[in-house]
Amino acid sequence: MNHIPERAPESPCMEALQLVGRIIMENGGETYRAEETVTRMGNSFGLEDVESFAVPSGLFISYRGQDGNPVTSVKRVRRLHRNLSRVDEANRISRSVETDGMTPEEAVVKLREVESMPGSFRGWWSLPAAFLCACGFAALFGAGWLSIAVAGAVAAVVQAMEMGIARFRNFGLTASVLGGLFTALLPNLLVLAVPSLQTELVVAGAIMPLVPGLAMTNAVQDSMRGDMLSGLSHGVQAILTAFLIAGGALLAVALKRVLMGGGL
Amino acid sequence: MPWWEELLRAVLGAFVGTVGFAMLVHVPRRAIPVSGLIAVLSYLVYWGALRIGLSDPTSIFLGSFFGSLAGHQSARKMKIIGTVFLVSAIVPVVPGLGLYRMMAFLGQNRITDGANMGIRAMITIGMIALGLGAGAMISRIIRSRFCSKNP
Repeated sequence: MNHIPERAPESPCMEALQLVGRIIMENGGETYRAEETVTRMGNSFGLEDVESFAVPSGLFISYRGQDGNPVTSVKRVRRLHRNLSRVDEANRISRSVETDGMTPEEAVVKLREVESMPGSFRGWWSLPAAFLCACGFAALFGAGWLSIAVAGAVAAVVQAMEMGIARFRNFGLTASVLGGLFTALLPNLLVLAVPSLQTELVVAGAIMPLVPGLAMTNAVQDSMRGDMLSGLSHGVQAILTAFLIAGGALLAVALKRVLMGGGL
Repeated sequence: MPWWEELLRAVLGAFVGTVGFAMLVHVPRRAIPVSGLIAVLSYLVYWGALRIGLSDPTSIFLGSFFGSLAGHQSARKMKIIGTVFLVSAIVPVVPGLGLYRMMAFLGQNRITDGANMGIRAMITIGMIALGLGAGAMISRIIRSRFCSKNP
């Protein structure tokens, strides 16, 4: 899709509006936030009849052009990342358009910077982050020292694997199944060597970094604003992800039985 | 487990675990300590409610409700998008263990136990949603009542 040269948008206004909406949606922001931000920013640019309509897979923007005819853009959006600092920055830029009168050209430059911003932490930081997350929750669930450490290690290994998968653009559902599979498989095999391991608690802790917390929050936030379509879509995403992770874990238990010669 | 150990585990575990989760979704750096504290608050409310004998769904509701209130207030104070803090508020009460147990039971062909666990997990998720929603509503009322100068 990238080989088709993109035609330059009619005006920097439209470019800025497209960018701000796309950044918010691609990085895990709510759909209502994308709509609101685009409309407000368009009004602050002095455009008339600004309308925006967003669903989790697309963004539609329209306003009245200088000749009186409507100018419309349709953008396909894919959820690529979970990066809330980009959403926050995009929000901040739209606010400074509103209050400090930032011009569309300036906004485009700033938004392009946000788009390529690495996030609050570099890539490899997600390994210690997954480690901390799993350790903390294993402790919360009542695991012993050894189990806490193993939960952290398993989560870090799975996170490293997911980063490898993300490189092949298979982000999403496949990653959830594989994540669940390995998160459950590793402790279930380790317990053969270390019988004192609390397998269930280790798995429960190590699975926490994969939990679809962001999709759940977005589902509630969007439904609360009356945007049922987006709320439903986020909700289904959250539930599907949870079931796929759990399904991966189920596969792991079955696999262990086969390996041990016990049959299914 | 003695109560003080549970409390210690609740505070440290919720804080460390949520800080890790917040880093995974790239929460802005200056928001990270606060999101950890909000997670601790919502888990402590949940834990306390359980200890004084309230049912599990009620405790979950209370936990995510207070987490959501605190999240909305901090979002306004720190001028950071609310999602950041709301995610942190719900992560400690998300039923990860319940979903895993459900699948483990189903895998052993213990359908009744599995269905039981599954329904519990679904109720928990529903209660979290309800708590978040109620928190959002109340904080909007607070904002419009007491802070009308600064909408």
